[in-house]
Amino acid sequence: MIDQLFGFLGYYVPEIISIVLMTTLLVAEAGVKDDHAPRTKIHVYTQLMLGIVLVCLLMNLGAKPLHIFYNAVTIDPFSTLVKIIMTLGTMGAVFLSHSSKDIYSNLKSEFSIMAVGVLIGGMLLASANNMLTLYLGIETLSILSYVLSSFKRDESTSTEAGMKYALYGGLSAGIALFGISHLYGVLGSIQFVDMVTKLPGIEGVNLAILLISFLMFFVGIGYKISVFPFHMWTPDVYQGSPIPVTSFFAIVPKMAGIASLVRVSFVFVQEGSPLAISWIGLILVIAAMTMTVGNVTAIGQTSVKRLLAFSSIGHVGMMILGVVVMNEAGVQAILFYGIVYLFMTLIAFYVTSHLSDMYGTDSYDVFRGLIYKHPVMAIIMASVLFSLAGMPPFAGFIAKFNIFSVIIQKKHYGIALVAAINSVIALYYYMKLAKTMIFGTPQGEEKVLGFTTLNQAVIISLFIPVLFLGIFWDSAMALAGNAALFIK
Amino acid sequence: MISLISYLLISLVLFIVGLVVMISRKNIVAILLGIELILNAAALNFVAYSRFVTNNLDGHIFSLFIIVVAAAEAAVGLAIVIRFFQIKETIHIDEATQLRN
Repeated sequence: MIDQLFGFLGYYVPEIISIVLMTTLLVAEAGVKDDHAPRTKIHVYTQLMLGIVLVCLLMNLGAKPLHIFYNAVTIDPFSTLVKIIMTLGTMGAVFLSHSSKDIYSNLKSEFSIMAVGVLIGGMLLASANNMLTLYLGIETLSILSYVLSSFKRDESTSTEAGMKYALYGGLSAGIALFGISHLYGVLGSIQFVDMVTKLPGIEGVNLAILLISFLMFFVGIGYKISVFPFHMWTPDVYQGSPIPVTSFFAIVPKMAGIASLVRVSFVFVQEGSPLAISWIGLILVIAAMTMTVGNVTAIGQTSVKRLLAFSSIGHVGMMILGVVVMNEAGVQAILFYGIVYLFMTLIAFYVTSHLSDMYGTDSYDVFRGLIYKHPVMAIIMASVLFSLAGMPPFAGFIAKFNIFSVIIQKKHYGIALVAAINSVIALYYYMKLAKTMIFGTPQGEEKVLGFTTLNQAVIISLFIPVLFLGIFWDSAMALAGNAALFIK
Repeated sequence: MISLISYLLISLVLFIVGLVVMISRKNIVAILLGIELILNAAALNFVAYSRFVTNNLDGHIFSLFIIVVAAAEAAVGLAIVIRFFQIKETIHIDEATQLRN
């Protein structure tokens, strides 16, 4: 019925609502009289609209693949599922920003504006079907992220984080754009479909240009998902940014980047194309290096925010292993990992944010003896750490297990071994934090105050999927499998 | 008539100059200028390829978008640099050392 009313625009409703939300938020801020008033109404409005976006996306989930706006944008179950993950991540981050002390109260609605803007860029990137939309998606995502990371504008660390992000981001986007311009020259179009048909006939100098410019193009995506050679900015930016922003960065831009990596890989790398062998080899090496660098560096960290940043690098390395196998099972594993990663990351950042608000720092010490201060929070956090490390019976185990099973089916034993070793390293540093929480003696006598019923309800409802998907994973796997089917 | 290869050479030179500026200069505003050079090198490539090779408008449209995005990026970059200057009273990149292990 929707498509009869608006034509193909019916499938673009989630993006349209997000854009409307962003512009109305911009106006709504003008109605706030007092600078320090709590922006409760604006917050509720944001969550409601994001909820409507979520419902529209769920309705799109069953749609057939559709190319709209002259092939610029693809709506298919794959992009829709990624958009659902990103919308949930945005809702979580906006909720966290509302209660966190890290975001100044007169900037709370501004956070929603920027976060929804990044969400729009991520949606564009996830369903990009030509180079122009892909570039615009990356830039919308990046430019608003620079603002978000320098949100605590009175503190030099936050400003420095934003500046580093902007400089690294500008450089990588420029390099990627230079690569895209040569791809356009060699392949004669910016549409993915037309570019692919030209691929087999390329040889000689053009082939050399093609390979180099494809590598440059990869820099842009690799930077967004912070894989190994382009990960240097991640720990600095994650540490300098306010915690709600960090939790947002760990989910939304990363999922969008991984979605576009998957799409680009499946469009360009086919049997007989000159890119096939080198591309898979490249992703293999990069995934191995990303996991190792992320996990090994995480060991020595004392700031929990920085620890979570490095662990997110490790998780991305794990996720892009699903690209290596180049089949539907791989994409299914990535999507399932993405769903689980969303809930685990949000809970980890919620607890860190709350403790950091209480004590003014995010070092290991604030976690010491948490079980005596707030048992529910400590048990949930410990379970999430187990899940992040990939221990049964939590969902993280199933997510990791899927990745292992698809790469072993394709006989990539070497990389499976690297991933296994990395899981052991990850287990070590997650357990170190869990041990601090459960067996450490608390420093002060005070209880963890200010953890309202609403906060508890949210954290418990976020925890249910982590527990549930570890035991009854069928439905989520079927959802991911359905989304993966449409990648050809 | 100027050939395609001259345009490509010019844009390659612009790109390399931009990269060198970004790596070697210590002034943050100069680094932002380097980013602009790289973006303009890509825009020049698009227009040249569009005119000489592909004979469609994709390249021209892409270069218009690049100009818009470059303006937005420069605006945000400069705003952050101003904030950095207000806090540190310098725009030397070596002063940005608070976030390290």
